[in-house]
Amino acid sequence: MIDEELVQLLTPEGERVAHPEYESTLSGEEIFGLYRDMTIVRRLCNESTSLQRQGQLALWAPIQGQEACQIGPGRALAPMDFTFPTYREHGIAWCRGVEPKEMLRLFRAVSNGGWDPYKYRHSVPTIVLGNQALNAVGYAMGIQRDGAEEAVLTFFGDGASSQGDVLESFVWAASFNAPVVFLCQNNQWGISTPMSVQSKIPLYHRAHGFGFPGIRVDGNDVLAMYEVSKRALENARVGGGPTLIEAYTYRLGAHTTSDDPTRYRIDAEVEVWRHRDPIERVKSLLVHEYKMKQSRFDEVAEEAEKLALQLREDVLAMDRPDPITMFDNVYADMHPLIEEGRQEMIDLGVTGGAH
Amino acid sequence: MSQEVFLLPDVGEGLIEAEIVSWKVAVGDTVVLNQPLCDVETAKATVELPSPYSGVVVALHGNPGDMMEVHKPLITFEVGGDGSAPAAAPAAAAPAPAAEEPKVSNSTEGREAVLVGYGVANEDGVATRKNRRNGASATPVAAAPAAAPLSSGPVRTTPPVRLLAKQNGLDLSSIQGTGRDGIITRADVERALQGGGSTAPAAPRKPSAPKTGPTQSTRFVGHDLAPWATGPKEERILAKGVLKAMAEAMVLSKTTIPHAGVWLKVDATKTMELIAGLKQQSSLEGVRISPLTVIALAVCDAARHFPGINSHWDDVTKEAVIKRSMTLGIAADTNKGLIVPNIKEADKLDLVGMAQELNVLVDKVRAGTTSLAEMSGTSFTITNVGPMGVDAAMAIIPPGSGAILAVGQVAKAPWVVDDEIVVRQVVELCLSFDHRMIDGALASKVLAHIGKFLSDPAAAIIAG
Amino acid sequence: MATKTMTMAKALNEGLRRAMEENKKVLLIGEDIGKLGGVFRITDGLQKDFGEDRVIDAPLAESAIVGTSVGLAIRGYRPVVEMQFDGFVYPAFDQIVSQVAKLRKRSDGHYTMGMVIRLPFQGGIGAIEHHSESPEGYFAATAGLRVVSCSTPNDAYWMIQESIKHDDPVIFCEPKSRYWEKGEVDLDNPPANIFDAVVRREGTDVTVIAYGATVKTALRAADTAAVEGTSLEVIDLRGLSPFDTATLEASVKKTGRVVFVQEAPLTASIGSDVIRQLTEKCFYSLQAPGLVVGGYHVPYPPTRIEEDYRPTVDRILDGVDRVIGFGS
Repeated sequence: MIDEELVQLLTPEGERVAHPEYESTLSGEEIFGLYRDMTIVRRLCNESTSLQRQGQLALWAPIQGQEACQIGPGRALAPMDFTFPTYREHGIAWCRGVEPKEMLRLFRAVSNGGWDPYKYRHSVPTIVLGNQALNAVGYAMGIQRDGAEEAVLTFFGDGASSQGDVLESFVWAASFNAPVVFLCQNNQWGISTPMSVQSKIPLYHRAHGFGFPGIRVDGNDVLAMYEVSKRALENARVGGGPTLIEAYTYRLGAHTTSDDPTRYRIDAEVEVWRHRDPIERVKSLLVHEYKMKQSRFDEVAEEAEKLALQLREDVLAMDRPDPITMFDNVYADMHPLIEEGRQEMIDLGVTGGAH
Repeated sequence: MSQEVFLLPDVGEGLIEAEIVSWKVAVGDTVVLNQPLCDVETAKATVELPSPYSGVVVALHGNPGDMMEVHKPLITFEVGGDGSAPAAAPAAAAPAPAAEEPKVSNSTEGREAVLVGYGVANEDGVATRKNRRNGASATPVAAAPAAAPLSSGPVRTTPPVRLLAKQNGLDLSSIQGTGRDGIITRADVERALQGGGSTAPAAPRKPSAPKTGPTQSTRFVGHDLAPWATGPKEERILAKGVLKAMAEAMVLSKTTIPHAGVWLKVDATKTMELIAGLKQQSSLEGVRISPLTVIALAVCDAARHFPGINSHWDDVTKEAVIKRSMTLGIAADTNKGLIVPNIKEADKLDLVGMAQELNVLVDKVRAGTTSLAEMSGTSFTITNVGPMGVDAAMAIIPPGSGAILAVGQVAKAPWVVDDEIVVRQVVELCLSFDHRMIDGALASKVLAHIGKFLSDPAAAIIAG
Repeated sequence: MATKTMTMAKALNEGLRRAMEENKKVLLIGEDIGKLGGVFRITDGLQKDFGEDRVIDAPLAESAIVGTSVGLAIRGYRPVVEMQFDGFVYPAFDQIVSQVAKLRKRSDGHYTMGMVIRLPFQGGIGAIEHHSESPEGYFAATAGLRVVSCSTPNDAYWMIQESIKHDDPVIFCEPKSRYWEKGEVDLDNPPANIFDAVVRREGTDVTVIAYGATVKTALRAADTAAVEGTSLEVIDLRGLSPFDTATLEASVKKTGRVVFVQEAPLTASIGSDVIRQLTEKCFYSLQAPGLVVGGYHVPYPPTRIEEDYRPTVDRILDGVDRVIGFGS
């Protein structure tokens, strides 16, 4: 099932392996930092699932199992790089500095965005599959015209890789040699559609067809994800053009909280992937190679717990916005229909008032 | 300590019920936040529900195998004082009912939480109207009041009324509309048809009560008065706001200021000619110049010549206080009633400056944005009653000043020029003054000066 | 400078040139717009003068053309996108409606979608299928977008520049049947309020509102009506969404009758919306219901019979007759 070409630097058991082209450049403390990131993100993700089950979120899209796919590249980004996510890049958002409560505004259904994209250099979520890949390429073309040394990282899943927009973005990235890295998280399932229906060939091969490099990485190996992303981003920054990284991973949870994967997957398959857990293998490495003490892992668990409780508090405090805010920021300028609508809402006494 | 009830959320996009598969807790158990409570099965999936509270299980509201309704109680907790989870009710939840009922938690108003969204709003039963448009601030269909003049411009009415008129051969432009903003109503047409007696079959006229008057409302110190015909026979309005302020100011004025007055009729033809001439000036496009502009200049000029008129009586110190800066009040009739906004240092303004300041003042009055500061410190007031169609008025002096000039309408009247009767544009002025410090001689000189200014403004401006 | 006579195509070309000179962030992107200068030559000569980085010949993918323009706008550029024909905008519809129209709102005002999407639209050029559409209604119905249309070379010259300067995304509809018609362009003085409606011909009996190609047809209808003794007031709408109610109201309150002329089918169209709003705002002045003269509810026909689909002088005058026939 796994291609020999897959880049791996750390086995599921937590042992290092060599690779002809990549090696891990991270120190023990840096690796511990990745462990911390993944642990916190997983804990916050689980809290969010609970919140949804308790009726506090309209929906939640979990990343359980995909933490390394996101933390690896997330920590390989340079400050000025720009990221264009889907709706599931909570790990990337974490690395970019987006506050957890800001990430949940969309799912609490109080906003369709949630944060200032320029502040974090992380674009607002895109739910329409594949749209963001084109937007990312356009942004990269802007970088070229500015002559800046910056890269763009954009994301989509195995399902979205069938979308016209994604394929068109490959065409453009190649034709214009755009400084963009495409990160495809192949978690094997597009809701209930298995990967085999989306593509007859390994996804990373597609890049070759379009004329730029593609590389498959063990998505649950945060060391490999980090190194491969880092190189691809540096390559883009200096004018080397686009790369497609296929992070080979597994969606341990459901597509979203409205999905029931037991209807189309077998438990045995899930179990196999549980043994490839991204966090466990890193912890193993830290214990055996760096002799990290349990107390350090306990501290991270405590920190994650605190953040989860804080997130819960923040979400419960997220009030229904004043409905009159629906008229804000639709246009840059005055628009008569906006003014009429706003006035009607005021006249009907629906809103809290002056705006 | 308080009780919290967890209602079963809709866990599958519009599902209305779920079956309890198994409980993972029992009554009396202490549970922590997010601890699994139970498995429920729906038509779509089996779902594990995590606890929204840390506390003690007080009641389980169903047994394994029971079909539980969504949005109904599933499990009740006793939630402790310290360190328990914060109340789960989001801001929009219904307010807590009587004290003995456990507080209802979860779910936005009327919606049942679903897996993919907050769920479809509950639309069962007859909805009661929550909001009604506030009539006072509703965007009006048409603008200014005032009855529509007869047959000037296109006829304004509704299509059914047009049809009625057309079917009866009635020319709508011959009818005065009595509807809101002068719109012709069905009743207007029917009335005209009865009165006209053209082709309508003549029903015998029953003796009837005299017509009880127009059907539109009128303004009364900031209130809309219902029409004579339909309003109450006796209506009482409590003195508040502008009504109260006006009543108090007028009483104060009349009981403390000994009022006296002098009158003058003026041939203002040259003032009207000057204004007409200025309107042709392209450099003054957008600047509204009116007789009031010239009168204001005249008043300031008179004050410069006779500072004593710009004074008031300070009864505390027993002093007559003369000001050498004109804070010129202009009485204005607004929707809310009478206000007197003023122009500070009006004596420093030339014709164009005065016109601009008056424009700003009028615009603010129309918009209702005159500030309190702009209504205080008036040293002299002009009240223009001309537009209402009268010749003069003996106005009441605003407390804090010493005089008020009432200006009537400018109308054609016979006048004697070189012993001949000619038609001139005549206006009548009345200056009311505080006879404690301003005597008749001063008031007369001031009024004569103003009159002279109006009768030849160009000369007066040059003379300075 | 002063005024020059030129075709609408040339006026657009000059307007684009001027916009690119004044703001280095303005980019053009579209199919065949560079070396070829555009299939209608609207962008003729611009790549030569401004370079390939600013006048981009795009691969053949409309969704990508708009989608990458979104990214360019996020980066601070002002893309002017050309859709080659109205009927080919649909692959880009998703990006336009899901991203272009909504990103300002989704980002709480942080993102500015300062782009223009140019559409050669309407028919009357004897083309084959998909080259004569009127899709402006879909965009007018989408909050976040502004939709405009020019009918004269002077308006084209100034409207394209104003649209490029605007911080909202503008769907810019160019009546391709008028590309080659000449008119005076005042190169120095922009008309005030170019997105407001403008009275092209004063009249007293019926208000006729049109946009794009139908403006000229309405003016010709007014000439014929005058001979017949009816005075039409013809208004060029210019801004389609939002549109200038003040000018329209003043006219309808004067005449009491209104006919809206469009090539687009009657269903759920700009005309439907204008008449709806005028009915509310001018109810007491109306002598008759507002009528729309437009395309039939069919796919645009083979162009051998397009003249019986597009509003003609006769059909406009028929609308005028009907509206007068309601009496007073």
